[in-house]
Amino acid sequence: MKNKLISKFIFLFSLIILVGFISQKIGLNIQQIIAISIFSASVFATLLFWDFRVAIAFIGIGVLLITKTVDLENMIKFASLEVILFLVGMMVLVGLIKEVGFFAWLVTLILRIRNLTSKKFVFAISILSAILACCVDEVTSIIFMAAAILEICDYFEIEPTPFIIISILSTNIGSTGTVLGNPIGILIATKSGLTFEDFIFKAFPLMFICLLTTIFLVMFWYKKAMKKLDEKIKELGANEILIKLISVPPERQLKLGLGIFGLTLLFISLHHRLELLWNLEANTLLLSIPLISAGSVMIWKWKKARDYIEKDVDWWTLLFFLLLFAKAGTLKYTGATDVFAKKILTLVKHSPGMLIGTILWMSAIGSSILDNVVLVAAFIPIVQSFKDLGFVLQPLWWALLFGGCMGGNITLVGSTANIVALGILEKEKNIRMTFFRWFWIGLTVGLITTAIVWIALLVLPMYH
Amino acid sequence: MKVKEIMTKDVTSILPDTNAKEALDLLEKMQISGLPVIDDKGRLVGMFTEKEVLATILPSYIEKVGRFIYEENPKTVKQKMANLRNIKVKDIMRKEVVTVDEDVALCEVARTMLTQKVRRIPVLDKEKRMVGIVARTDVVRAYRREAE
Repeated sequence: MKNKLISKFIFLFSLIILVGFISQKIGLNIQQIIAISIFSASVFATLLFWDFRVAIAFIGIGVLLITKTVDLENMIKFASLEVILFLVGMMVLVGLIKEVGFFAWLVTLILRIRNLTSKKFVFAISILSAILACCVDEVTSIIFMAAAILEICDYFEIEPTPFIIISILSTNIGSTGTVLGNPIGILIATKSGLTFEDFIFKAFPLMFICLLTTIFLVMFWYKKAMKKLDEKIKELGANEILIKLISVPPERQLKLGLGIFGLTLLFISLHHRLELLWNLEANTLLLSIPLISAGSVMIWKWKKARDYIEKDVDWWTLLFFLLLFAKAGTLKYTGATDVFAKKILTLVKHSPGMLIGTILWMSAIGSSILDNVVLVAAFIPIVQSFKDLGFVLQPLWWALLFGGCMGGNITLVGSTANIVALGILEKEKNIRMTFFRWFWIGLTVGLITTAIVWIALLVLPMYH
Repeated sequence: MKVKEIMTKDVTSILPDTNAKEALDLLEKMQISGLPVIDDKGRLVGMFTEKEVLATILPSYIEKVGRFIYEENPKTVKQKMANLRNIKVKDIMRKEVVTVDEDVALCEVARTMLTQKVRRIPVLDKEKRMVGIVARTDVVRAYRREAE
């Protein structure tokens, strides 16, 4: 065990040295080589050393500071504390609404569909998965959807796998619809200046088109499973018993929790207009509203306040993000990303259209094997560098957002939602998803939706 | 006072290959909530408790979904309960067990119970074989005897 661990670390170290060596060959200076090598350590850690990723990030930041690749002041600036605090606030809020039964109440909506048919079922789980992912985050959303789907499939004694896959695909697509759907949404919003309204008017409609296309595709792909469900519905009757099985009485707490969450969403969606009205700096309200709401929740439920912070906030992941952002900022600080930006431009022959396609497809393919936050964190400073080279950045930000989320559908490890839902499926039903069972439908959906986005970004003037 | 002076030496244990249904029957028969799992060399390899049984039969997502009220038991819970006879103890037992050395002082056992939030701790000899079990009652009783 110990030897295996030592060999793994030797392998990691060799990979980092190799990256450093390649960086030197392409003409980077010593600071840039250190910055890129340390950042690559985080990339390799998410790919090969998941349990060690925070430890590796800690050491990496230490090395960057000691070697004077970045100074303390800039390191803190690059760590994007505003994004971390936004995520903390949202996690506390999600903890509250989870506790008061909001998600379970939402899930019962599916169970209450009258005259259930397989088509209605697929439509409902797809739309609800996407909308839930838009309102909270993809991981919370998929846990509830997977739970609901497993209950329904158990009741009708059918295999849940196709429906779980449909829900995951919809969740990943839905997570592009708003700033809240995915950590990369808020990361891109804070770095690009795009507002919640921009997401609603530009990202949401495109997400919806991709979702509808996916629904029709999966209805064709899984027609056998749907036929079986229809037969079972005829055999076992409608879902009255299911309605009795899971229920959440609409208590005062649920209504209050719903009210707080709804108000938070409303203010977040109006943040840009209110910031203009009150003469506030861009994104001030976007970032402070979740904090005010979370603070109010902790006053309301003061006895559980510590629990919300300690149990509902995923500090492990947030610390990793914080350090990752600092490392990505260092790439820009040393000028390494400017070098990459110029190399990419040479590759695409300075064509804006080709540049959009390159960013979109690179982020889609990259996020199919890599955590999309790592990928987007690396891409953000590169995209920022294009501004100095005279490019309009808006389509590039959308390309990064959609590529980073749609790519998650391509492989079964493409996004956290995939891993969480397939883990539940394996634990509950002992069904282990094979790479290729996922890959063919995942690749088809991933390619088609990314292609739709590509066409939209190239053709529609609203994205420019 | 050392733990070996207050521990229960005659401890019923089960083997890792025992089926979970039999192990659960034994818990019910003995009216206890957990049993140590010992391999053929007498080494402690895990603990089988009612908590593990609950974790096995309830949906794995139950802790994550907040308030998800089942007004009736879902089919799966009944199926998983019936399926316990096909599962071995080693597949569901808790593998990380808090233990103490037989020469540890009473105070240290009490501290371990408080900090690790456990009610009973298996006691191991130098070869890591289980030689007894110490319960919270044993510790309190020993303190009381000392005070008197």
